[in-house]
Amino acid sequence: MSVSADWSWQRVALAGMRDALSLPAWIVGFGLVGIGSLARDVGYPVGSAVLSTILVWAGPSQVLFFASIAAGAAWSAIAIAIGFASLRFLPMTVAILPLLRRPGQSVWLQLLLAHYVAVTAWTEGLRRLPAIPLHQRVPYFLAFANTCMAVSALGTFAGYYLVGALPLPFAAGLLCLTPIFFLVSLTAGLRHRGDVVALILGLVLAPICERFIGGGFDLIVAGLVAGTIALFVGKRRKTA
Amino acid sequence: MTQPIAWLDGPYWPYLALFLFAVLPTEIWRWLAVVFARGLGAESALLDWVRAVATALLAGIVAKLIVSPPGALAHAPLLIRITALAAAVAVMAIDRRRMMLAVLMGEAVLIGGVWLFGAV
Repeated sequence: MSVSADWSWQRVALAGMRDALSLPAWIVGFGLVGIGSLARDVGYPVGSAVLSTILVWAGPSQVLFFASIAAGAAWSAIAIAIGFASLRFLPMTVAILPLLRRPGQSVWLQLLLAHYVAVTAWTEGLRRLPAIPLHQRVPYFLAFANTCMAVSALGTFAGYYLVGALPLPFAAGLLCLTPIFFLVSLTAGLRHRGDVVALILGLVLAPICERFIGGGFDLIVAGLVAGTIALFVGKRRKTA
Repeated sequence: MTQPIAWLDGPYWPYLALFLFAVLPTEIWRWLAVVFARGLGAESALLDWVRAVATALLAGIVAKLIVSPPGALAHAPLLIRITALAAAVAVMAIDRRRMMLAVLMGEAVLIGGVWLFGAV
C-alpha cells in the first residue's frame, strides 16, 4: 500500500506491518520452521533456535550452523563457511542503506538497520522504499522487518516441536520455500535488462562454480563474474 | 556431532557457540557495509555494480539450494525441484504482481510431484 507524506510515524509503521503480513512475513516464517527441527536434532535448546532467527537473521547461515554441528565439522570450519555464505550481505547492505539514510542519522541506527538486511527486507525494501517519502522510510522499514522477524521467531519455535511429525512431501515443501521465495522476490524486483542478466547468470554460474572451485569461494566468484557481466550488458542497452 | 570446546562448556554453551560461530561471521558483513556505504549516493555507478553482484549472489544461492539441497528436500527428484522453480517463474512472467500465486504454484508442483512420483 502507498504511504502519504503527511502520515504520522505510527500510521507509517502500521502500513509496514500490513505490507509484511500481506505475504513476505509468512514466507520467511514458514521458511525458518525447518531451523527449529535442525536445532532439535543436535540437542540444542529451543531458545538457541529462536535466538538464531533473531540474531543471525539469515536462513542459509542458520542451516549451515545446525547442519554442520550434526555433521561433526570443526568450529573453525563452521565459522568460515558461514562467513563466506554471508559475504552477500556486504553488497546487499551497501545497496539498501543509501535509501534509508538521512542527514544526521547516527551510526548506531545504521548498524541496527543493517541487522535487518536479509533477502526479504532487501528485495522488498529496494522495491517499495523509493516510493515512500524519505523521512518515513526508517519507521516503515523497521516495522516491516520486525514483523517478519516476529513471525519467523514463532515459526522457528513451532518447528522445534512439530516438524518431525510431517510427511516427507511437506517437509520437502517447507525446505523448498526458501529458494522459491528468493527467486520470486528477485523476479518481482527486476528493473532492467542488466538485472535479468545478473539473475540468469547467477543461477547458471553458481552450480558450475560449485563443481570446479572449492573452499567456499565458489558462490563469491559466481556472483562477481555474473554481476560484472550484467553491469556491462545493462550499460550498453542504456546507451544504445 | 561437533562437541563443545571443553573449557567453555556449560549450560550456556549453545548460546555462546551460536554467538561466536554463527552471529559474528554473519553480522560482520552488515557492520562493514555501514562503513562502506558512508558517502555513497543512492544513484552512484558503483552502487549499480554492487546491486548487480548482490542479485547474482542471491540467484546463486537459489541454484545451490536446488542443485544440492538440505535435509528432506534432497529426497525430491532434481527434475521436480527444477520444475517447481520454473512453475513459480512462469506465473511471475505472466503477471509480476502475483507473488503469492507464484509461490503457491511452485510449492504445489513440488509437493504434488513428490507425492505422485515418489521420493528418491
